[in-house]
Amino acid sequence: MDGVTQFDELKRSWAITMKDMRIYFLRPGTLASGILFPVALFFSFAVGRNIPNDLLIPVLAAQTILWSSSSIGPAAFPLERRMRTFERYLSAPISLFAVLWGKTMAGVIFGLGITVAATAIGAVVIGVTITNIAAVAIGVVLSAIVFSAMGTLFASIPSENPGEVIMPLNLVRIPLMFVSGMFIPIESLPRAGAYAALVSPLTHTLDLLKVGFGGTSHFGWPINIAVLVIWVIVFLILSQMLHEFFDRKRR
Amino acid sequence: MLTGVSAPSEGRASIIGYDIMRQSIEAKSLMGIVPDISNIYDEISAWSNLIFTAKLYGVPRARRNERAKELLTRFGLYDRRNDKVGEFSSGMRRRVCIAMALMNESKLLFLDEPTVGLDVESVIVIHELIRSLNEEGLAIFLTTHNIEEASQMCDRVAIINRGKIVAIDTPESLKRAMKGVQSIEVAFKREMPGLQAKLERLLSVKGVEKRGDKIRLLTDDPPRVLKELWRLIEDNKLEPITMNTLGPSLEEVFLELTGRAMEAEVIHKKGSR
Repeated sequence: MDGVTQFDELKRSWAITMKDMRIYFLRPGTLASGILFPVALFFSFAVGRNIPNDLLIPVLAAQTILWSSSSIGPAAFPLERRMRTFERYLSAPISLFAVLWGKTMAGVIFGLGITVAATAIGAVVIGVTITNIAAVAIGVVLSAIVFSAMGTLFASIPSENPGEVIMPLNLVRIPLMFVSGMFIPIESLPRAGAYAALVSPLTHTLDLLKVGFGGTSHFGWPINIAVLVIWVIVFLILSQMLHEFFDRKRR
Repeated sequence: MLTGVSAPSEGRASIIGYDIMRQSIEAKSLMGIVPDISNIYDEISAWSNLIFTAKLYGVPRARRNERAKELLTRFGLYDRRNDKVGEFSSGMRRRVCIAMALMNESKLLFLDEPTVGLDVESVIVIHELIRSLNEEGLAIFLTTHNIEEASQMCDRVAIINRGKIVAIDTPESLKRAMKGVQSIEVAFKREMPGLQAKLERLLSVKGVEKRGDKIRLLTDDPPRVLKELWRLIEDNKLEPITMNTLGPSLEEVFLELTGRAMEAEVIHKKGSR
């Protein structure tokens, strides 16, 4: 019989992405964590403070991409475990990595859709324009992959209840916003905070978006891109290892 | 383990020539799996469930729609193809689940407790489907706790006790091998006091079981018991309503085999103390 090529695997993982888009995008939990949370946080950050317009939009976009991209995996995996539909992937001719990639891509598309819409509306209302489209495009796409992969990683927690995955994920998502130069400038952070800012992927998302909207990058865009790429690789490898480990233990 | 969902601690298994661990993708491409619960996507239609499965197994685009139509028609679900499966009854969901397992034109179908929790009508429909699929040449591996189902549906039965196969043969051969659990079942118009004790004293009777209004006499020599029983009936002026010679049921074979294994385990444990 003919073997399964990597292109075949890619097509099969795309089928998972498409199916997840139909099933999980309009779930109340996903919408709350993907849209409501970043918008509410943005207003609590922006209202009543004298923040320059060219910083407002990068903050809105960075928050939105963090919350929306990382919200599909933590909803989809536990529910599929509960319904035992996850077993379908394990018994199908597809590698675990292709399954994880398919699910991660669903988060990426969800994150991209919401971020582009929120940023476009925000930019029109506030009246700012993109000055470097490449920085925005690279920043948004790479960050969507990073945060969606982070959601996939946390979804390896062997639970059938999305809440049990989302809670520990929030313990990472919320502190990330405080060490990424979003609320407190990196220059004002203590030494430990500055180191945390360097490794936080959200710092580099914000940096690239600032460049895109006429500002400057704190670390420089080559470092921004390199850190984001490293996080994509780390999250995906860790996801594969932990999903394998916990799935073996479950069975 | 045979489906590749969990890894064996030792040993090997191959599916139609492909090692399930080393050539798992090839092996999985050739099989269909129906687990004990219908693990289908409630939020999408029966049609979408089938098409998604086809994509997951790499069924070519041209064949997908054709196959989905063919299976939904055959399983009596074509008219409901666009309805979300969350609205379906248990029997319909089961049929969708089996149809999904057949989308890749599998050569081997694993069915785990296919009729558990279903109403009688659905059970009959599922049994007919399984039989017809088997007649068409599909190899079916059925796991069940329903011994009667195994007896009626299977060409070969393996009895597993505590993870080990204790017997494997055709249902009739397994029954024939259990001569010790043949029996004579008798029902009387009116029972006399102490009848059960008298029956237990018959020379060839190994045991007596009361089952509703019938009494079952266990023996390995039914003709001899019949003679002794007839003498008892005449001596005590009893009026038999029915009298049947019964071979062992597959259920009794199962109990005998698993019981023996359990006894051996108890003896082994006592001996090792």
